[in-house]
Amino acid sequence: MSLAKRLSVLREGARRLTVLLSQMVGTLLRHRVTLDFPFGPPEIAQGYRGRIAIDPDRCRGCSLCVRDCPAFALEIQREDKNVFKLIYHPERCAFCGQCEASCTFGAITQTNEFVRGTSDPGSLQEVLVNRGPEADDARVS
Amino acid sequence: MARTTVPIGPQHPLLKEPVAFQIELEGERVAESSMRMGYVHRGIERLCQERTYVQNLHLVERVCGICSHIHATTFCQTVESLLGLEVPLRAAYIRALLCELERIHSHLLWMGVLARNIGLDTIFMYAWRDREVSLDIMEELSGGRVSHAVNVIGGVRQDIDSEQVQSILERLDALDQQLARLLDVVEHERSLRGRTKGIGRLSLAQARAYCAVGPVARASGLDIDLRRDALRPPYDRLSFEVPTHTDGDVWARTLVRMQEAVVSVQLCRDLLTGMPGGPVSVRAPRRVPPAEAIGRSEAPRGEVFYYVRSDGSDTPARVKIRTPTLPNLVTLPVQLGGVTMADVSVVLSGVDLCIACADR
Amino acid sequence: MIVLLKMLVFPGFAFLFAAALAFDWIDRRMIALWHGRVGPPWYQPLADFVKLLAKEDIVTEGTHSVAAALLPIVSLASVLTASCYIPVGGTVGTSFEGDLIVVLFLLSLPALAYFLAGWVSTGVYSILGGHRSLLQYFSYEVPFLMAVACPAILSGSWSIATIAQAQARTAWHAAMLPVGFALALIGLIGKLKRDPLDIPKAKSEVVAGPLTDFSGRKLALWHLTMNVQTVLGIFLLVNLYFGESRFLDRMPALPVFGLKSVVTLLAMSTASALYARLRIDQLMDLGWRVLSPLALIQILGALWIGG
Repeated sequence: MSLAKRLSVLREGARRLTVLLSQMVGTLLRHRVTLDFPFGPPEIAQGYRGRIAIDPDRCRGCSLCVRDCPAFALEIQREDKNVFKLIYHPERCAFCGQCEASCTFGAITQTNEFVRGTSDPGSLQEVLVNRGPEADDARVS
Repeated sequence: MARTTVPIGPQHPLLKEPVAFQIELEGERVAESSMRMGYVHRGIERLCQERTYVQNLHLVERVCGICSHIHATTFCQTVESLLGLEVPLRAAYIRALLCELERIHSHLLWMGVLARNIGLDTIFMYAWRDREVSLDIMEELSGGRVSHAVNVIGGVRQDIDSEQVQSILERLDALDQQLARLLDVVEHERSLRGRTKGIGRLSLAQARAYCAVGPVARASGLDIDLRRDALRPPYDRLSFEVPTHTDGDVWARTLVRMQEAVVSVQLCRDLLTGMPGGPVSVRAPRRVPPAEAIGRSEAPRGEVFYYVRSDGSDTPARVKIRTPTLPNLVTLPVQLGGVTMADVSVVLSGVDLCIACADR
Repeated sequence: MIVLLKMLVFPGFAFLFAAALAFDWIDRRMIALWHGRVGPPWYQPLADFVKLLAKEDIVTEGTHSVAAALLPIVSLASVLTASCYIPVGGTVGTSFEGDLIVVLFLLSLPALAYFLAGWVSTGVYSILGGHRSLLQYFSYEVPFLMAVACPAILSGSWSIATIAQAQARTAWHAAMLPVGFALALIGLIGKLKRDPLDIPKAKSEVVAGPLTDFSGRKLALWHLTMNVQTVLGIFLLVNLYFGESRFLDRMPALPVFGLKSVVTLLAMSTASALYARLRIDQLMDLGWRVLSPLALIQILGALWIGG
């Protein structure tokens, strides 16, 4: 092999051993990618799909959301056509937003609120709509 | 020579998901290997029969965490075939955009996992750092990093505005540069090549015989890609190349996946700039008349196949899912024949197992 | 009395314990910086050690429990004994002609104990890891010993303290024997089982190698042994190759020594981040085909320079 060829083989070999080094130096000089959580705040995006919120005035009790929820997180306890409770189980919720898409009256919105873990999942459930006989009839139709 | 049985799994630092391999070693070489699956079987196909189509949309998305959107998309396409619906072109573009972003995210995840399993933690960190770019874009588009819930039967739920398009294009340029650097490392870095070249060979004839799919097949020379071959919109309007290789070893698969990620970035750009206007969904009835249909898509790991049979109600009669990891798993005993114990981890990483997909 | 104080406090056990934790932290922080991460806080190695001490000590059925209990103690004792002869910034416990050989022997005992730990455990991963650790030992130890012998040949003495002081008259041995220093560094990486030569404890292949079945106090002692071995290996290399220098003799000895050690540690951390793990046959190839012939050439070079 000629000298030039030997040198190029050596150079290629040296390159192969250090190809990662330039990237590593570049990474060293940029800012860190990881966060100092839990000593620093977490970053939650704007459009993050979190727990749902209901506008009780708009809810008609049609229970489309209950039927469409893939995780069975919404439950309706009905005594009469206009007397019902809509219960939300965040511990079962998959945060998919299907309820928001299914509601034809626009009563459900999905917030970006993060549901924190708890050791008692049953305590998370809440009654989102409580339509009782004493409610104003004009609203419910 | 005396044989040693080395169990890999169901719990092993090498595996991301539980699957049990029994490797019989003769000295340092693998003589035989066998496998047990089913540790993450959740009975999704059976559950699908008890839920409505709308609920199933979200259930099939959770077959796999990495290719979630493609499962949902393929299911939607199948149900839309049953209904005879044609989705608006804009919806097809948005679906394809998320599919390509998922492909990038999946290949970068896999690159990190392979690097970790051969001891090159630096590439693991770099690949996953670059994967964050695609995850952030997907979160902006859909609200979730891994589970997107963008599909509805008849289209997609959300639209993209021009501001989002601009910011995504800028980030795709940065991602392009990073992918070029990673590809440089894969092609030239000596220790990575030394660990992956020549390991886990699958010849073209074997790939055909075992019906391998995805990058495993393309790295052996089998030129199949459903995006190009099935000619569904919007891929029938886009031109892109499908990287293949002939060696059939883990290094070839690494090259193929990284090159595919580069092609996907270009595809994302083309989809964003060429997106037509119009509505993003059409109304779909809840009850599906009796029929049967199939849907196929190119997931990051290969061809994912759905069969849905409807019976006139709002729940399907049968949903059958064939995920790409299943045929690739069958090629493992061939690939593991005669490799050393150290290479077992490389081979298992190289075939990109998604056991959640395989077990459903 | 003074010797007892030197053994227990400085440069003995207390100092080594603190230095082991500090070096572990520097190593992990440097690797994290190369990765682009923040890295663990300064108290992480101490927290890991204390946590391991508090954990349950499980001995699997069929393991030779007496051997399993003695092996970590024996290896820790041998590395701590070796510390008596290695100078730290000029201060040394005791020294005598030939203590380099004693130190090399004592620093090799943990390798044997590591293999035996795999042998007495019942899991298949332990035995595989033990086999690999012996194969690795034979690949790196020969070039390492030859590379460590070069400064001794050059300075004409087999006492570490004397070799370190001899460099004040001439120059750093690293400048005169650069190949020897590189080989000693590679050998040290193999001895400490660090990436890219952490083959016996490759997490994705043999889980944790010989130490797979150890937990609790025994594992804490094993980790402490490896960290102390790291510190002593670096100190040894710094003394042999970057000893005292007449250009730096006006500066305080201990900080200069500390700086040299930390720079060597950072070099090893960079090598960890830069390369993938070698396969055992690739390591044997490297050791016998490249490193050992280079070490032989370096010995001839040392003989020629030394006159």
